[in-house]
Amino acid sequence: MKYWKYLICAVLLIVAVSLPKFIGVYPLQMANIILIYMALALSWDMLLRTGQLSFGIAGFFGLGGYATMLTSTYFGFNPLLSLMAAAITAGLVAALVGYSVLRLRALYFAIVTLALGEIFRVIAQNLEITGGTEGMLLKQTMFKGDAASTYWVMLAIGVLTIIISIIFQKTRIHYASTSIRNDEIVAASSGVNIFKYLVIIFAVTSAIQGLVGGAYVQLYGFVEPTATTFSINFVLMPITMALLGGLYTTWGPVIGAVLLSVIAESLKLRIPYGHLLVYGIIMVVGILWFPGGIMGFIKKMFKISNQ
Amino acid sequence: MRIKVFIVLLLAAFVTGLFFVAVPAQAAEPIKIGALLPLADATGKDGSRSMELAVKQINAKGGILGRQVQLIVIDDELKAEKAAAALDKLCTVDNVDFIVGGMASGITMALIPGMKKYGKVVVWAGAAYSGVEKAMEGQDWFFHLHAWDYQQGAYYEKGWAEVKQKYASFKRDKMFMAYEEGAFGSGSFKGQKVLAENGKYEVQGEAFKSAAMGGGDYRSVLRHAKEFNPDQFIWVGYDKDALPMMEQAKEIGFSPLTFVGSPPAWPVDFAKQPLNEGVLLYSYWADTMKNVSRASKTYSDAFHKEFKDTPTTYFGPLCYTNIMILADAIKKAGTIDKAAVIKALETTNYPSPLGDTFVFKKSNVIDHQANSWPKFMQWQKGKLEVIWPWEYATAKMIYPFPAWDKRGKASATIEGEKKAVPAKDAKKDKVKK
Amino acid sequence: MLIPCGQYKPARNSSIRFRDLITMINSILSKFKQKNFLIGFIIIIAAIILVAIYKPNVLFEGLQRSALYALIALPMALLLGIVDIVNLAHGEFMMVGAYFAYFMNVQFGMDPIVAVIPALFLFFLFGILVYYITFKHIIGKEPLSQLLLGFGVGLVLAEGITVIATNFPRKLGLDYVSSSATIGGFTFGTFEFVYVAATIIILVGLQLFLKKTDTGQAALAVGQNPRGAKIVGINVQWIYLLIFALSIALIGAIGPLFGTRYTIFPGVGDQYTLKSFILVAVGGMGSLNGVVLAALILGMAETLVLSSLQYGKWADIIYFALIIGFILYRSHQRQVK
Repeated sequence: MKYWKYLICAVLLIVAVSLPKFIGVYPLQMANIILIYMALALSWDMLLRTGQLSFGIAGFFGLGGYATMLTSTYFGFNPLLSLMAAAITAGLVAALVGYSVLRLRALYFAIVTLALGEIFRVIAQNLEITGGTEGMLLKQTMFKGDAASTYWVMLAIGVLTIIISIIFQKTRIHYASTSIRNDEIVAASSGVNIFKYLVIIFAVTSAIQGLVGGAYVQLYGFVEPTATTFSINFVLMPITMALLGGLYTTWGPVIGAVLLSVIAESLKLRIPYGHLLVYGIIMVVGILWFPGGIMGFIKKMFKISNQ
Repeated sequence: MRIKVFIVLLLAAFVTGLFFVAVPAQAAEPIKIGALLPLADATGKDGSRSMELAVKQINAKGGILGRQVQLIVIDDELKAEKAAAALDKLCTVDNVDFIVGGMASGITMALIPGMKKYGKVVVWAGAAYSGVEKAMEGQDWFFHLHAWDYQQGAYYEKGWAEVKQKYASFKRDKMFMAYEEGAFGSGSFKGQKVLAENGKYEVQGEAFKSAAMGGGDYRSVLRHAKEFNPDQFIWVGYDKDALPMMEQAKEIGFSPLTFVGSPPAWPVDFAKQPLNEGVLLYSYWADTMKNVSRASKTYSDAFHKEFKDTPTTYFGPLCYTNIMILADAIKKAGTIDKAAVIKALETTNYPSPLGDTFVFKKSNVIDHQANSWPKFMQWQKGKLEVIWPWEYATAKMIYPFPAWDKRGKASATIEGEKKAVPAKDAKKDKVKK
Repeated sequence: MLIPCGQYKPARNSSIRFRDLITMINSILSKFKQKNFLIGFIIIIAAIILVAIYKPNVLFEGLQRSALYALIALPMALLLGIVDIVNLAHGEFMMVGAYFAYFMNVQFGMDPIVAVIPALFLFFLFGILVYYITFKHIIGKEPLSQLLLGFGVGLVLAEGITVIATNFPRKLGLDYVSSSATIGGFTFGTFEFVYVAATIIILVGLQLFLKKTDTGQAALAVGQNPRGAKIVGINVQWIYLLIFALSIALIGAIGPLFGTRYTIFPGVGDQYTLKSFILVAVGGMGSLNGVVLAALILGMAETLVLSSLQYGKWADIIYFALIIGFILYRSHQRQVK
């Protein structure tokens, strides 16, 4: 009975890996977009499990993007190495900043992470070596834009994020983060070193966001500070997806990302003018019906059927 | 609970249905042109309508090479990843033969890898950032219509020099540029500084936060401009900045000899604002050009007839030109074969509604750059009039810019214009009949 | 998860008279006994005087800018303080209000400043409607769902306006918005003092309402402890409805004022939601005075940096660094206590 879960995961993985054999370039490109948002949503949720509400996704995303761009332009890093650089940069900066910022809670933390992202943006915009407001173009995107290869890289990032999330759920970190979320004082007095765990989780999730930012730059080949690389979209969309999918779970944000991306794209193709209106209505209705997200709803259903 | 489950299942089925049921496959008959435009933006709306108009006209005449033309427009949403996906859809799902459209430079940057991968013939309307040009070096399939940023700058210098020759009192020794802090504005200022060094005049500039990005208070920049006391004041921003910029200039009493703006479009009813009198701008096209250019009149009338509306941005005629140039080339080539169409495009000679006759030449970097040029225009009595180049001029320049506090006369003429509006409407009715 | 806000302290007497204003001033004055407050106050006054001598326009324009920020943030602070909702559709309601005034002007020639009054009533009703359809079902459940709900409602409002009025920017040409005065060779704009006046009216009005009326007292109690308030016999649901509708009415009525001076388009609200959110956080999550003070300091600082030609482009960094500094300082204070 316990093994069917692993079986499903294995089957899903095989299907995901062999997808380029069956579908064309456009669905693969869509899959890349879904994987980008999925990794962002899931990493955001991982930090939220400790009760820390981050609005700094775009900041670390952009930081990673710039790290990739700068290392491959000035030092000639190969694409995968530059992705590593993105993850390490974002993770290190997060760990450094985290020491002072993670003491804040709830909305205070949210605002400070948002402000940090804006500071990264202004720096990128005002420096010469980052290309100023006009941004920079990458000489060559990874694998020369080959759809299957880029998809596999994105899939690897997505799967990595899911695995990290599952590890966080299954190990001591899970108990630590849940107890931090529920009551910091109790957690501290029961011997959980709150701060160590918080910094680790913040650094890891930020590193994922940086990695995704790097991959974004490798996919689309440019950075541009004002409208794209630090766009508020990379804060709002992942949060929306995680909320609709269901918080504090691994599969909730995944479901949310797949569902909302597919809906957005198909609406756009069918209703060229005004598709965002329908999208907004779907969002409102969705959250009113499933206040706990889709995963919350599924869990509830299982409980009912078990009883 | 059951109803909820049912509805959820229904929704899920609907969504998956939407995704898998592709647009009904059509016979390989029509020539397919794929367009990428930001449909929620004024430029994209004008552009897509004008493209539809062009395709309709072509098909009404029996299409090209005996085949109908099918236009597939996809919204790029001004988002890089969505634009790249849309390009993939056009090239792999819809299997289009040619790519057209394009507006923002930032979005074009994200499309470069995809365009290079597919290597289809691209006739690109927008993107002025010269970084895009560098990335397109040596790509023979890339045809670019809009002038590059450095070309525009050099062209403006030429224009002002000619204006100076004609108007003895015209002065432009000191110039202040207020520019929005994004790529559009700061790129312009960078270019301007180089030009000023060569042209030996003084230039100073400062960035402002555009209302499009949550700004809207320009007074600190305007004060610096006033302190500098320039002969010419130029602001590079968006339509959202237009009127507040002028109101705030009036508020602090700043009125230079020439007041120039270069937004891609103007706000609704800007023509009726008394403050607009004498404001100069750079644009490729104005509706009044129908009085001096026959191609412009034909386009403008057809657009009116089709949509009962006037295009508000030059992306209307530009996108119309975009389709027409491609159609002409296919006709000339007699096939949709890539090499043949590229050769035919190279011989393009199309009198466009923008006024210019389009031919492709070498630019600094790429091989196929059209010679379309912005014009100097001025708001006069609620209408956009072309001032320069002289061959398209529809009116004489008002110089100097009338000071804000001495506008009693100007506003009187504006009121006269308001009264004249019904007459204009009557004309419209005649056209309808 | 969101911090329940306990910034309000109910006053003891509950009759509404002119005297109450004096007691309010007294309570502010009593703060001077606190050393920190006094030092801070002296620094601020000194800074203002220095600025006024150095660049008088910074004083006027900074004040006007701060007032606009404070004005827009106040309804959000009210809502967060009592109902514990971060309304991500905040700026969109203002945008709809501005469009309302625009079309009232175009259709009936109504002046936008006059349109504030019908907007106040209409948006109160609109607020009730929105509350019943959406937010009512979310309060007390998953606290973060309100973020998504607000985002969705904002998207529907912005896109709805796009469908009705297209997304072309609009701006009324009003002669009086560029009115100015000159003192000793220095010219400055006078119209934006409307924002200062409106901020003072709303701030004082809300404080009086919350401290001097029974309903306001009940609202404060709900803001501090909804469960406790329920036990005491306060109709919590009704208070939520009232405060929500009041907040929407206020922000909807600010729309016309905003639209007199700024260009409006469907996406104009976004940035102001974010700005208000930041001010509310810096001001102390629901404290009305705190929001106004935060707006004053941040607005002034921003204008001061912008007034420098060379360093103007770094204004954003100083703005956000100040925010981080403030919040870290506050949290440090909390820990010390």
